[in-house]
Amino acid sequence: MEMAARQIVAFGGGGFSMESGNPLLDDYVLGLTGAERPRVCFLPSASGDADHYIVRFYRAFSAHRCEPTHISLFRREQGPSDLRRHLLSQDLIYVGGGSVVSLLGVWRAHGIDSILREAWESGVVLCGLSAGSLCWFAEAVSGFHGEPKRLRGLGLLPFSNCVHYERGSGRGEAYHRFLREGMCGGYAAEDGAALHFRGEELSRVVASRPQARGYRLDAAGSQVVEMRIATTYLGDRDAPPQAPLPEALSTAPAA
Amino acid sequence: MAVERGAATATPVRRILALGGHEFSSRPADRAVCELLLRLAGERGGERPRICILPTASGDTTEQIASFYSAFGERPCEPSDVSLFRLGRRPMALRDHLLSQDLIYVGGGSMVNLLAVWEAHDVASILSLAWRQGVVLAGQSAGAMCWFEAGITKSSGKPLAAAGLGLLHGSLCVHYNNEPERRAAYLDAVGDGMPSGYGLDDYAGLLWEGEGTPSALTARRGARAYRVSSRAGEVAESPLPARFLPAPAPAALREDIAEFRRIKTMRKRAGWLG
Repeated sequence: MEMAARQIVAFGGGGFSMESGNPLLDDYVLGLTGAERPRVCFLPSASGDADHYIVRFYRAFSAHRCEPTHISLFRREQGPSDLRRHLLSQDLIYVGGGSVVSLLGVWRAHGIDSILREAWESGVVLCGLSAGSLCWFAEAVSGFHGEPKRLRGLGLLPFSNCVHYERGSGRGEAYHRFLREGMCGGYAAEDGAALHFRGEELSRVVASRPQARGYRLDAAGSQVVEMRIATTYLGDRDAPPQAPLPEALSTAPAA
Repeated sequence: MAVERGAATATPVRRILALGGHEFSSRPADRAVCELLLRLAGERGGERPRICILPTASGDTTEQIASFYSAFGERPCEPSDVSLFRLGRRPMALRDHLLSQDLIYVGGGSMVNLLAVWEAHDVASILSLAWRQGVVLAGQSAGAMCWFEAGITKSSGKPLAAAGLGLLHGSLCVHYNNEPERRAAYLDAVGDGMPSGYGLDDYAGLLWEGEGTPSALTARRGARAYRVSSRAGEVAESPLPARFLPAPAPAALREDIAEFRRIKTMRKRAGWLG
């Protein structure tokens, strides 16, 4: 039996939540489904199912190009009663940003964690930004509240992850420190950059902004090696062919 | 010496107010509930007690937070909110903030999510400590059941049993006669071995002050608290005698009346009215 293509697209930041008027990342994940009118389910759990966020999702994923739904775990009396059946019938599951700690707590309470693994294994494309990116990895650098913290995610991808990896955000320094302290190696993405995994392998990095990049980070003894990854800007139709990965090495000395 | 020291640092009274259901509106029964919350907070905090809402069970909805501030914003107290979903935008020292309150009020919503998010943020242990230090714990609906060993929640759609923090022994079912299917599920659950407990109609409450049995309160005629227990397979339900909480005159209305009287007097003086 052929195994379904397992795909995860982890945005460092971007999509309709952060880039109003720039649909490049959202169009990209819709395109991955291969469906003419993909079934897309939004999980706004990390925001506490904020109404304004749900409204923005429906505006961005309008019914003329997909079949949008959402699941509000704070209002289970509305929406689909069989969460598993609903999630497994999707082409794309899109996880919003917010508090990754709250997200994982609420998901576990409703058994969403194991359903998402099942969905991934059956070929449903999983994506999300910020908390919705961190959640897929074994370990994550969360900068949501105060000092950056190290925490465990669902572990579908056996790496660590850091989002909003902009210079001067303080996350880079924390990520390097965690790696030296034994965090597993992994990937970081700037706002506008998205890490596209097929199976457990990074397939490519795409971006909605020309300068946005993804990074590979590993600890080598007491040093941290950070490599910038060649990134395809989705807005440029005449983009040169992609360089093989990883490329454009810039090895940063340990901080 | 040890005896004296012990006497000087008396153990604070542990207080919990569980409410079957209410809103923060200007309706008389809702004003009566707010008055009770203010009084309980004031007994610990004096003239300007600190009252903090945890709107976690709602997903920290703006609606719940705004209605809380509209009820307490102009009262003699220091209201605040801890929105666990928004700590990113509003960092705060969670533990210090909660432990410095006189009353912590937990809003309604999903009991399952409430406990899951508290667990994830380690809030449960802080609340337990706050309670032991004498901070009044209060709440309605999910925010009332969370203090017990178990409750009946509709967090997954239909009414089902869910575990609470267990600060109080036994179980609680809220919206008791207001949601018949919830009451039915509770009676079945107690018959099937859920620890005995209480049923609370909307606008009925139970107040624990220290050890022993709680006192029942009601802010609306006909709203009752029930003791629900199982003996030899039979579930018995008996209403508890409750003290009525009268509604204070609404502050806004008092101002309106005053303004109306001022205008009336001016008009009389000016000879506009007969």
